[in-house]
Amino acid sequence: MTPPAESACRPAITLSNLTVTKGEQIICQVTNATIARGSTVGMTGPNGSGKSTLLRVLAGLETDFAGSVRIDIPIADRVFVHQSPYLFSGTVLENVEYGLKARSVSKFARRELAERWLAHFGIGHLADRSARSLSGGEGRRTALARACVLEPELLLLDEPLADLDAAGADFVAQALKELSGSTILLSSPTPLSQNLTESTINLTGTSSHKRISE
Amino acid sequence: MIREGIQEALKLLLRLDTSVIDAATRSLWVSIVAVVVASAVGIAIGLVLARKRFTGRSVVVVAFRVGMSVPTVLIGLLCFGLLSRRGALGEFELLYTTWAIVLGEFFLALPIVVTLTHGAITRLDRRVFETAITLGAGVIQRAMTYLREARLAIMLAVLTAFSRCFTELGIAMMVGGNISGRTRTLTTATALETARGEFASGVAMSLILLTIALLVTLSIALLSRATAEAES
Repeated sequence: MTPPAESACRPAITLSNLTVTKGEQIICQVTNATIARGSTVGMTGPNGSGKSTLLRVLAGLETDFAGSVRIDIPIADRVFVHQSPYLFSGTVLENVEYGLKARSVSKFARRELAERWLAHFGIGHLADRSARSLSGGEGRRTALARACVLEPELLLLDEPLADLDAAGADFVAQALKELSGSTILLSSPTPLSQNLTESTINLTGTSSHKRISE
Repeated sequence: MIREGIQEALKLLLRLDTSVIDAATRSLWVSIVAVVVASAVGIAIGLVLARKRFTGRSVVVVAFRVGMSVPTVLIGLLCFGLLSRRGALGEFELLYTTWAIVLGEFFLALPIVVTLTHGAITRLDRRVFETAITLGAGVIQRAMTYLREARLAIMLAVLTAFSRCFTELGIAMMVGGNISGRTRTLTTATALETARGEFASGVAMSLILLTIALLVTLSIALLSRATAEAES
């Protein structure tokens, strides 16, 4: 077993010559990239530059790729939130408790944690509402709360600020700060506020070739 | 003739004619038991076929799909072979009992439930599976999530199976034997009464059959609409 100090020094993610293709088309290409443990990294680039694909690879949802992907975080500790998150039928609270239930957290603790994270995202008042009746922004904040409540080691957020107004974006920024021990990657087609991320990776794409540069 | 039959049928129904009520109750009981068991087995099979990759999976899917269009007389014939004295299940002496009809209708309902459940789960949004996985749900929690998200379409599958079982004749006739007070169902009674020239009784049985079938069809239509709205 690796001593904790040594483990903390190692990068959480190391990518080398990663290429994802769909048919003949390269949809994501990364030459080299390392992401430090516990950092919050933004990932920008135009539509179609491979941001979502890269996040899916890191989440373990995309396994058909070439190159080397080293992630020093077990798959059970990685949580991915889709660009258009899917909310299960049921209430907002049930959605936020979903992953906690999977981790066998007691009912009382589940409720307490879920309510706390709903409050972090400014949607505590929606706890008993049907998840299907939410607006786009409310739904996104619910999905983010559902992911954050698990306090995962690696949190992968695909365009988390889409659909959000300025107040909603502020709630997200503040809530992410609560996850001090997590490595967070968030993508955006537009530059992200420095208040939100410590560093930014830029994915640039052309019609036939996409590459990453730091 | 039909008008007279309907008038006579209404009289039979209003005075709660024993033979009519007996056949109706038995039809309902047999179909409900067969569909409940077929649903318990079929939903699980449909779910596994939709989510598990294994060699020969598509062959199994096609086999169940083909099973949906097997004529009821053929199922009746196969069950007769199974349940007859020298058949694999002969020792249980189930032939010409209501349990024989339940068994036959189970085989009738199973492919319907499996195929429609498989379709319902397969059609679910990919994000349902990915979200459940990324949030760390175990096998059971994932399965329950998929069933919950596809519940309207699965209820539709169960109702469709019930509708098919409730209105079938071949199985009930072949393995039930249409024995009065023991295995007579609405469909076999209708066939018998009409053959005997008791047209009013036949129409009365048909009216009950039609009413229940219409209620089920109405439920299917309402569920279909709800499913379409939920999926849009």
